[in-house]
Amino acid sequence: MSRVVGVDIGGTFTDLMLFDQMAGAVHVHKVPSTPAAPEQAMVEGLVELCRMAGIGPAAVTGVFHGTTVATNAVLEFEGAEVGLITTRGFRDVVHIGRHQRPQHYSVVQDIPWQARPFAKRRHRHVVAERIAPPTGAVVVPLAEDEVRAAAEALRADGVGAVAVCFLFSYLNPAHEERAAQIVREVMPDAFVTTSAGIVPQFREFERFTTALMSAFVGPGTGRYLERLDAALKGAGVEGELHVMMSSGGVASVRAAAERPVTLLLSGPAAGILGGQWAGALSGRDRLITFDVGGTSADIGIVTPDGVAEASARDTWVGGYPLLVPMLDVHAIGAGGGSIAFVDEGGAFRVGPRSAKARPGPACYGHGGTEPTISDAHLVLGRLDPERFLGGRMRLDRAAAEAVIAPLAGELGMDPLDAAQGILTIANANMARAIRSRTIEKGHDPRDFALVAFGGAGPLHAAEVAELLGVPEVLVPPFPGITSANGLLTSDLKYDLMRTVFMVEGAVDADRVNRELDELEATLRGWLHADGVDDADIEVQRALDCRYVGQGYELRVPLAPGPFAAAALERFHALHAKEYGKAHGDPIEIVNARVTATGRRPTVDRLPVPSGDLANALVATRPVRFPGPAGLVAHDAPFYERPHLPVGAAFPGPAIVLHADTTTVVPPGWSAVADPAGNLILTRERAA
Amino acid sequence: MSAARLDPVTTAVIAGGLDSIAVEMGHKLARMSYSSIIRESEDFGCALCDADANQLCESVQSTPLQSGPIPGYVQGIERRFAELGLGWRPGDVVIHNHPYYGASHQPDVGLIVPVFHRGELVGFSGTTAHHLDLGALTPGTCGIVDAGDAYAEGLHFNALKIEDEGRPNEVLWQLIRDNVRAPHLVVGDMEAQVTAAKIGAERMAELIAHHGLETFRLACADVMDYSDRMLRREIARLPDGTYAAEGLLDGYPDHPDPRYRDLRIRVAVTVKGDELTVDLAGTSEQIDLPLNMPFVGTVDLAVWVALRSILLDTDTHDPVPTNSGLFRAITITAPEGCLANPRFPAPTIARFSGGNLVADTLMRALAPILPDAVSAGTGTLRIISYSGLRDGGHWVYMDIHEGSYGARRGKDGMDAVDTLYANTRNNPIEDIESHYPLRVTQYELREGSGGAGTWRGGLGSIREIEFLEETGFSLEGEGSVWRPPGLFGGEDGTPGRILLNPGTDREEELPSKFPYRKAKAGDRVRMLGPSGGGYGPAAERDPAAAEADRADGVA
Repeated sequence: MSRVVGVDIGGTFTDLMLFDQMAGAVHVHKVPSTPAAPEQAMVEGLVELCRMAGIGPAAVTGVFHGTTVATNAVLEFEGAEVGLITTRGFRDVVHIGRHQRPQHYSVVQDIPWQARPFAKRRHRHVVAERIAPPTGAVVVPLAEDEVRAAAEALRADGVGAVAVCFLFSYLNPAHEERAAQIVREVMPDAFVTTSAGIVPQFREFERFTTALMSAFVGPGTGRYLERLDAALKGAGVEGELHVMMSSGGVASVRAAAERPVTLLLSGPAAGILGGQWAGALSGRDRLITFDVGGTSADIGIVTPDGVAEASARDTWVGGYPLLVPMLDVHAIGAGGGSIAFVDEGGAFRVGPRSAKARPGPACYGHGGTEPTISDAHLVLGRLDPERFLGGRMRLDRAAAEAVIAPLAGELGMDPLDAAQGILTIANANMARAIRSRTIEKGHDPRDFALVAFGGAGPLHAAEVAELLGVPEVLVPPFPGITSANGLLTSDLKYDLMRTVFMVEGAVDADRVNRELDELEATLRGWLHADGVDDADIEVQRALDCRYVGQGYELRVPLAPGPFAAAALERFHALHAKEYGKAHGDPIEIVNARVTATGRRPTVDRLPVPSGDLANALVATRPVRFPGPAGLVAHDAPFYERPHLPVGAAFPGPAIVLHADTTTVVPPGWSAVADPAGNLILTRERAA
Repeated sequence: MSAARLDPVTTAVIAGGLDSIAVEMGHKLARMSYSSIIRESEDFGCALCDADANQLCESVQSTPLQSGPIPGYVQGIERRFAELGLGWRPGDVVIHNHPYYGASHQPDVGLIVPVFHRGELVGFSGTTAHHLDLGALTPGTCGIVDAGDAYAEGLHFNALKIEDEGRPNEVLWQLIRDNVRAPHLVVGDMEAQVTAAKIGAERMAELIAHHGLETFRLACADVMDYSDRMLRREIARLPDGTYAAEGLLDGYPDHPDPRYRDLRIRVAVTVKGDELTVDLAGTSEQIDLPLNMPFVGTVDLAVWVALRSILLDTDTHDPVPTNSGLFRAITITAPEGCLANPRFPAPTIARFSGGNLVADTLMRALAPILPDAVSAGTGTLRIISYSGLRDGGHWVYMDIHEGSYGARRGKDGMDAVDTLYANTRNNPIEDIESHYPLRVTQYELREGSGGAGTWRGGLGSIREIEFLEETGFSLEGEGSVWRPPGLFGGEDGTPGRILLNPGTDREEELPSKFPYRKAKAGDRVRMLGPSGGGYGPAAERDPAAAEADRADGVA
C-alpha cells in the first residue's frame, strides 16, 4: 500500500497533494514558493501536509514532482558551457539550422541558435568519422585520437557538458557511443550525452540541437534534483523522488538526470493528466483539457487512445526545436493577467502581454495600471470581490473600473461593453486554439467535454465551450492544483524509438520485430531498475509511417504480438482522418517505437460529501451577460463549492466559488455536483 | 483614414478566424505533399481572397514569395476566363501557372478553388507550390537557364479547370502525368494542393455562414483598412523626397554579347506624404534568356515584402495582418520591355535572383532615411537541380543553398540564411542521402568571409556534395561576380563561388548559373555562398566582438 505525494512547484505557489491509499484519503496543501531554494517550500509543505494527514514523513512511499527547472534554464538562457563533438565537415549544422528565419518579415531579428548558441563555435570540434544510409555502414572509421584531443581541449576550456552528435547515428550509434566513452575518460566530471542516446531519429539539426539543449540544462537539472532528493531524505522521507516528463510518464531521478531534455514540459503535462484523471472519475474519456492561469491557457486533448502527443516536428521551446516525445500541450498567451489594449492602428487586442504575478491585474491592488481579463470579470460582476481565493484576497472593483474606462473611451464604447469585449475576444482566441487541436485534427468538439481548471479556466469554460459546440464542462475536485493531482495519476513510463526506413513490399518483418524486441528489452530493464515487476509492465509498440515520398509521419499503433506487414493497412485510415484523404501509394516505415508503462496505484475515487443549495448560497448579486440586444444584468446566486448538494442541478446564471478559482454558469447552462467530485456544467440549449 | 465599419470585437474574431484557416491549409499541404521542395523546403503558399481578389490572410509556414502572389493568380485566371468567355462555378478547381497572367513564374503552380455563399461567388481559396518538374528541356524546374522563350520552360496551364463543377478533368491529369518527370511526386503534390485549397474554401464558407456575408465583408474591409493605415503611418514618418540605388546581376558572365552580362537593377523610391512610389526605370532591357521577372507576382512581391519588412519589421512592431490593404499606399512602375516588366514571350523561369536584388537595392535606396531598419547588402541563394535515372524512371532533387544577410545597426548579419522575399528551409542531409545517390561532404560556415564593419556581415556557407552515381545537374544562382555592398563605411561582403572537384587536378570553376550537365560518380560540387556586407567602419568594432570572432574562427 502506498502513500504518495505530488508536488508542483510554480513561480508563485508550491502545490501539494497526498494520496493515502491505505486510508483511501486525499489531502491537499498550497504554500508560497521559495524560488531561491525551491526545495525549502517543498519540504515545508510536505511536512505540513503529513501533519494534516496524521502521518509522519517517513510513511511517505513516493514523491512525484513536476518541475520547470529545465524549462527556465532554456527560457532564461542560463545553463552550462557546452561543447560539441561532431562529424568532420559539419561543425556549423547547429548554427545554420534549416536556413530559415524565424520571422518572415523582419530585417533586425535575431536567430536564437545563432544569437544564443548552446555551444559556441570555439567549443564545436570536428572529428573524422562517417556513417552512411541505408544500413548505417561505416564509411570513415572513428578517429579516436581526434576525439581525445577534442575532449582535452574542451576540458582545458572549462566546458562542463559535452554533446556528441554524428550524422546518421540513428542508424548506427557505435561511433557516438565510443566517442562519449572517450570523453567521459578525459572529463569524468562532465555531463556527456549523445544525440542518438536521446532521440535516434533523422533530421540532424533538430536531433543535434536536442542533444545540445540536454547538455545545456543537464548539469543544473542534475544538481537541482540532487538537492531535492537530499532535502527529502533530510526531512525523513524514505520514498523515492520521481519526476514528470514532457511525455506524461514519470521517471526516476536517475533516468531524468541522464536525459533532462525530457523534462521541458513537465508541469503542463501533469496538468493534462490531472484533467484526464478528473474526466475518468466521471466516466468521460474524450476531453479537452483547459488550464488557464495568469499568463497562458494550456490546451490538451484526451481520447480513448490516451493523451494526444505532439508531432516531433512541431515542438519548440524558447525558439529552439526539440525532438523528444511530448504531450501535445498547446499554449496561447491568454490568462487572467492578459492585458487588453488598443494598438497603434486602432485594433482592439487582448494579450499576449500579461500583468503577470506582479503587479497583476489592477483589481489585485498591487499597482496594475492596465486593464486585464480579470478586471473585466470583476467589472461585469463575475468575481466576488470579498470571497476571491476563498476570501484570502480582496479585489478592488474601483481600480478595475478605473483601468477599463480609458480603454472604453479610446474604443468609443460603454465601459461595460468594453469589459465584455475583452472577454469576447479572449474567448474567441481560446476557442480558436482549441479548434486547431480538434477540428483541424479531425476531432469533432461536440463529442468532447471541456475540463476546466487553473485560476481562470472555469471563468471562461462554458462560454468557450459554447463557441465550439462542446456540450459539457467539467470542473475537477481540486481545480487550483490539478497539476499536483496529475502527478499522482501517472504511471512510470519510458519511450524509445529507432529509425528503420522500409518500404511496403520490401518490409523485413523479422528485422522490425528484432528492433522492437530490443527496444522493449531496454525499457523493461529501466523499469526493473525502478522496482517494477513484469506483471505491472504494459508495452505499446508503434510504427511511424508515411506514404513514400512524404516528409511527415503518422503513428500506427501495433497490436500486441509479432508484427506482420499487413498491420500497415491501418495507415490509410489514419491518413484519411488526419488530412481528409487516403492515397493508394506504398507506405514507408520510418521509425519503430516502443513505450513501456509501469503501473502504480493511483487515486481512483474520492470521498465526496454533499451539502444543500441553501447552505451553499452566500450572496445574490447582479452579473452581466451578453443578450441579443446587448448586456443584460441578471441577479445571480453565488454558491460555495464545498456546500453544493450532490446530484441536484441548478440553473445558470450562477457563480460557484472554489477555494482557488471561480466557475461561471452562464444563462442557458445548468450545473450539478456529481458523485465523483466534479462540477458538471451542461448546455441546456443550442448556441 | 476611414472609420471602422464594424465593432472591433467582431472584427477581431473574424480576422482571427481567417488566420487560423490559412494556418490549417499550410499545415496540411506541408504534411501531405511528396517532394522535398515542398515538405522540407516549404516552398509553397496558401491564402484566402475576397471576390475582388484582395488577399485576406496567408499561412505563416510558407514562404512570402508563394503566398503573396495568390491574388495575382486569381486576377490572371479572371483575365483569361474573360478572354475565353468562362466563369467560376461551384465545384471548380483551377490550375494556373502562366507568368504573363499573374503567376509568379512557371514552376509555381497555383490551384484555386472559388468560394460560394448561397449561390454567390464570395471569395477564393488558393495554394501555390514550386513543382519538381514540369516537362522542360532538362530535369528539374531550376537551372533551366538556357530557355530562349516562355515555351521552352515547360508546361503552361492558363486558367484550366482541373475539376469542372466537381468532375475531375481526367484528360488534363493524364496530360500532366505523361509530360513530367517524376509524375508520381508532381501529381501527388498537386493533389495535396487541391485538398488544402478545398479545406480552405470549406472553412471560409463556414466562417461566412456563421457571421453572415455582410458582417464578414465589413470585417474584411476593416482588417484591410487597418493594415493600410499601419503602413501609411510609417510612410508618413519618412521625409518626402526621392531615394535611389542600383545593383548589378552577374547575368551570363561568359556570354559573348555584353547585353547579357552585368545586368542593372535600378530602384528609385519617391516618398510623398503617406504614399510611396517605387520606379524601376533605368533597369536593363529584357533579354531572351530567363532572368526576366514577371512584373506581377515577382517584382511587386519583392517590393512589398521588402517595404513591409523594413517599415513594419515584426521584431520591432506589433503584428500587422498580411493582406492586400498593406499595399494600397504603394505604387510600382517599370517601363515595359525592361527586365522588371518583360513582354511575352520573354522567358522568366529563372527570375528568382533578380527579384531578390530588387528587394536588396530597394533596401539600400532607403538606407539613408532608415538607417536603423535596414541591413547592408545581402547575398542571395543558389538552387541546384540534381537528377538521374533509376528503376526506369527519373529521380529529381532540388537543393536550395542559402545566402546571408548584411550587418544591421547594432547587430552582425544573420549567417547562412534565406534572404528577403524568400524564406525556405534546407533539406536535412540525412533526408537527402536516404533518398538520392548523393553524399553531402561538408556544410559549414565560410570562415572570414563576412564584410568587415562596426557590425560584421553574415557569413555564407559551404555546401559540398559528392555524386555516388552518374548524375545530371543544373544551377540557377547569382552573386559570383558582384559583392554584397557594405553600408555606411562597412566593407563589401564576399561573392559566391561554385567549384567542381576542388583540390583535384580536375578542379573547375563554374559560373553562378549553368544549364544541365553531367557528372561522374565520385565528382564533387562545392558551393560557397556569398557573405553579406558590413555596416559602419571596421575600426569602430567593439574589441570584445572582434576577439570573439577570432576565438570562433570566423574573423
